[in-house]
Amino acid sequence: MTVVALILVGIAAGVIGSSLGIGGGLIFVPALVLLLGFDQHLAEGTSLAVILPTAAVGAWSHHRQGRVVWRTALGVGAAGIVGAIVGSRVAFSLDGVVLRRLYAALIAVITIEMIIRSFRLGAGPQEQDPSPEDAVST
Amino acid sequence: MAIGLVAGFIGGLFGVGGGIIVVPALVLLLGFTQHHASATSTATIVASSGAALATFALEGAVDIPAAAVLVAGASIGAWWGAHHLHRISEVWLLRAFTAVMVLTVVRLVLV
Repeated sequence: MTVVALILVGIAAGVIGSSLGIGGGLIFVPALVLLLGFDQHLAEGTSLAVILPTAAVGAWSHHRQGRVVWRTALGVGAAGIVGAIVGSRVAFSLDGVVLRRLYAALIAVITIEMIIRSFRLGAGPQEQDPSPEDAVST
Repeated sequence: MAIGLVAGFIGGLFGVGGGIIVVPALVLLLGFTQHHASATSTATIVASSGAALATFALEGAVDIPAAAVLVAGASIGAWWGAHHLHRISEVWLLRAFTAVMVLTVVRLVLV
C-alpha cells in the first residue's frame, strides 16, 4: 500500500514537474507528511534524496545540450552549498510542527503566485507560450 | 552568489530544490533566457541539495527506500508527461494543481 502510494506520488510529481516546471520538493514533502504520515524532517530529507539524483540527471542532459552557464552555476552552486548547510542546521534547530507551519507559509506564497499565473494564462491565448503544441490545440 | 545563498538556505530549510528562487532570479537579475536559467538552476541544485541531504542524512532523517520508489515513479511520470501531456491544457493542469495546493496549505496548518 505504501509502495503504491509512493509510486503514485512520484508519477504525479514527474508529470507536474515536467509540464509546469514545478520542482518535486513542493509535492514530495506535503505528500509524505499528509498521505504517509512522515514527520516533517524525515519528509524533507527524503525529498532531498529524490531531488539530488533527479537534478543530477537533468543537469547532465542540459549540459549535453549546452544550456548550462557554468560560470554562473559554479558561483551560485558554491554559495548554495553554504546556504544549504545553514538552512538545514536551522531546520534541525526547529520543532517539527514549527517547521511544518513555516513550510505551509512557503507554499502559500507559491500558490498565490500560481493563481496569478493561471489567471494570466486563462486571460487570452495570445499570452500563452507560443510553442508548437499550443498552436495546434488553440 | 547572493542568489545561491538564499536558494540554498530555503532548500536546506524546507527540503526543496531552490529552483523557485534561482530560476526567476537568473531571469530577472541577470537577464538569462528561461531555458538557460532552468538548465543552470538544475546544476546549482545538485550542489545545494547534496549539501542539505548530507545534513539530513547525518541526523538520520532520510528514508532511502521511500526515496528510491519516488525516483522510479517520478521517472515514469516525467516520461509520460513529456509524451502525452500536450493533450491536456496547461491552464487546467495549473488550476487543478493550484486547487490541490490550497487544500495542502490548509491541511498542513491544521494537522
